[in-house]
Amino acid sequence: MDSKKVDVAVIGGGVHGCSTAYHLAQKGFKTALFERDYITSGSSGRSAAGLRYQFGTEVNILLAQYNMKCLKTLGRDLNYPGDLEYDPAGYLWIAYSESQLDQLEKNVKLQNELGTTGSKVLNVKEIQEVAPHLNTEGMLGASFNQEDGHINPHTLCFAYADAAKELGVEIYKKTSVTGIITKNGCVAGIHTDKGDWEADAVVCCAGAWSVEAGRWLDLDIPITPERHQIMITEPVERMKHPMTLCLDDGSYWKQCPNGTFMLGVGKDEVKDTSFYASWDYLDAATERILPKMPVLSGIRVVRQWTGPYANTPDLQAIVGPTPVEGFYIDCGWSGHGLQFAPSVGRIMAEFVNGEKPFIDVSMFRYSRFEEGELFFEPACI
Amino acid sequence: MTRKMIKDHPILNFEHEKKKVVKFTFDGREMEGVEGEPIAAALHSNGVQIYRITPKQERTRGFFCAIGKCSSCFMVVNGVPNVRTCVTPLEAGMKVETQTGMGILKPEE
Amino acid sequence: MKRTDILVVGGGPAGLSAAIEAASLGADVVLMDSDLKLGGQLIKQTHKFFGSRTEFAGTRGFEIADILFDEVEKYKQEGKLEVFSNTTVTGYYKEDGIVSYTIGEETYDLMKPQKIVMATGAQEKRIAFYNNDLPGVYGAGAVQTLMNVYGIPPGKKVLMIGAGNIGLIVSYQLMQAGVKVAGIVEAMPKIGGYWVHAAKVRRLGVPIYLQHTITEALGEKVIEGATIQEIDNSFNLVGEPMKIDCDTICMAIGLTPTCELLWSAGCEMKFVPQLCGYVARRDAMMRTSHPDIWVAGDAAGIEEASAAMVEGRIAGLAAAASLKPEGCQMLRERSADYLKRLEHLRAGDTGAKIRSGLEQVCCECWG
Repeated sequence: MDSKKVDVAVIGGGVHGCSTAYHLAQKGFKTALFERDYITSGSSGRSAAGLRYQFGTEVNILLAQYNMKCLKTLGRDLNYPGDLEYDPAGYLWIAYSESQLDQLEKNVKLQNELGTTGSKVLNVKEIQEVAPHLNTEGMLGASFNQEDGHINPHTLCFAYADAAKELGVEIYKKTSVTGIITKNGCVAGIHTDKGDWEADAVVCCAGAWSVEAGRWLDLDIPITPERHQIMITEPVERMKHPMTLCLDDGSYWKQCPNGTFMLGVGKDEVKDTSFYASWDYLDAATERILPKMPVLSGIRVVRQWTGPYANTPDLQAIVGPTPVEGFYIDCGWSGHGLQFAPSVGRIMAEFVNGEKPFIDVSMFRYSRFEEGELFFEPACI
Repeated sequence: MTRKMIKDHPILNFEHEKKKVVKFTFDGREMEGVEGEPIAAALHSNGVQIYRITPKQERTRGFFCAIGKCSSCFMVVNGVPNVRTCVTPLEAGMKVETQTGMGILKPEE
Repeated sequence: MKRTDILVVGGGPAGLSAAIEAASLGADVVLMDSDLKLGGQLIKQTHKFFGSRTEFAGTRGFEIADILFDEVEKYKQEGKLEVFSNTTVTGYYKEDGIVSYTIGEETYDLMKPQKIVMATGAQEKRIAFYNNDLPGVYGAGAVQTLMNVYGIPPGKKVLMIGAGNIGLIVSYQLMQAGVKVAGIVEAMPKIGGYWVHAAKVRRLGVPIYLQHTITEALGEKVIEGATIQEIDNSFNLVGEPMKIDCDTICMAIGLTPTCELLWSAGCEMKFVPQLCGYVARRDAMMRTSHPDIWVAGDAAGIEEASAAMVEGRIAGLAAAASLKPEGCQMLRERSADYLKRLEHLRAGDTGAKIRSGLEQVCCECWG
């Protein structure tokens, strides 16, 4: 097997890997991306694909502003012939207790202060106006941004991957990275099941599977995978309904642009990356969601699938350099990472290039766990 | 109109006269069909071939696989959209309608 | 939660045979079929089967179905067999072996069978031609359902696509039902079906257009005609398109196994062209790589009803045997006869394709 040489090897063909590879190539780095299965086969392709401005901490709000700005026109900007399906159906976070409502008000206030003026707090009557099919019993209020919504996670990834290829990135699918080569404590390349590559830097965007990569370098990457499930219904005519997330039990649902409804709930789940769906998930989702939106009671279920969250101790990502020179990570997005592809893909390329990231992401640094400085973001569940 | 039925088959005896015939409506028109046989069979014998119009390109759709696997035969039945008429048994008084578009969820009563 | 010894998914010839065999050996069996009537494609067949006496030679397909229904009824009366029609098995959950099913549109429930026989049959393939989505284009099974099960003429004049056994048989059945057949179109240079079926339709004056394909269905809202054209050995169009007068186009170009539940269960699958699609790897007793799941009939590879019934017997036998302490002995003794029958059905030139397909997915035992 021949040895090949690149400047940067990216591990993982999900949305962060593809975006990072694209941004690296834009900066002139000779880049190769390695994906063990097919592009979007990990968490990206299984994502509930929600996008939002709404967060509760400064760094996430600023990143979100950049994300949303990019995502609205990304397909066109990357010359992608397909449809990224950005769909601003709105995103409703619903409070069922005073403390939840209190937090939502704080989140909205901070967003408004930082320039996200489209986010607002709604009372129950206003909730009924934006989501007339909801049973508002028990709801105290909600936060809402009409521009939040949905994107197609597959075409999003493909758009970055195609644009990356245009700029010379080599994408190797069905190729598993099996180790990282170091020389004098610095990254020197990677082993794969199809041969070795020399590389001056490696960016790990392997989602829930990043833990394995860390082990090759004796790095403890504190990610625990957690299986989550989604069900999809038959398509029906578009109804006035935003993406809805209920803070009482973590249930969420939305109508996708193709008319299907997507339903999810937070429940006790296995902590692994298995892709097998469970029957009790269907029961849990329907039990929690039907009382909140009774009109869905007759809709037919078509399929269900699973996808792993890559959870860190504070449910915030790990972004940036590591103690091993030349090894960077962008993972641990704990179920909300798809939408951060534009901002963080750019930031990873900036890190590799020795630049100061355009938004300060030191809150996400790898060393925070050792330092005991966990990062609390109230707008993530 | 009289339903189209096969009579005088050399091998099979359908015993049409023994079957329970019931009335139903298709797009408001009254028709007859056999209780318990698929709605699609009743429509076919009444000369109805178009069951729905597709949402985007407005193409006509009708009977195709007959075993409930292809989605071609979806119609609105008693207000419920996307009913697989090829495997759904006909009942007296059923209101069967051509489905246009994707189907509108019937609101809770 | 409902429990049983053996769940048989699919009530066609293979499923019925599996259920009967298992019940005869004392197992508690549940049979579920998604259609309104049991019998799969067997109840639609009016022609006489051939082969040996044990394979019901000389008996019409729908009469063979009646024989199987009588046996089913016997075990139902004895309480060994529970039958559900209009019931679709919607999921197999690998982690705990739980099966979900819906009865009609209103009932959804779960059950836990100890063992499962998947006899889910097949579905029609399609070919692409302009306007192939118009009402009036039907699969062969659909045409048979209308005319042989419900006694309704599918149309007035049918163009048949495909001169395999199904295309030939259904053409003949159409004429028995008083429907004209405008012609049979076949892409290959020779007829794919048995000579005896081809001879019947030829005698009735139906033109068979070999090395032809359909290029277009004519009509705006429903089928009003079709154009066909000759093709060469590389399947390129030659000559001029020819208009055929018809109001129904019947596609009998092949079937492909229905395997979704097998995939869900994590069974090892392989694409085998001779068996017409993805099929599960299996041992001689029809067991898949999953220790609790067997497969039989068209779901195991497109063949025909006689083989489906014997495979069903073997699968039912093996599944029941696996639940008994003295199972291995019973299996060895009773399967010998079934295996010989299958060998007989698959012998000679006509069985060459099936044999070469099965070679690719059969293993001696799972070790």
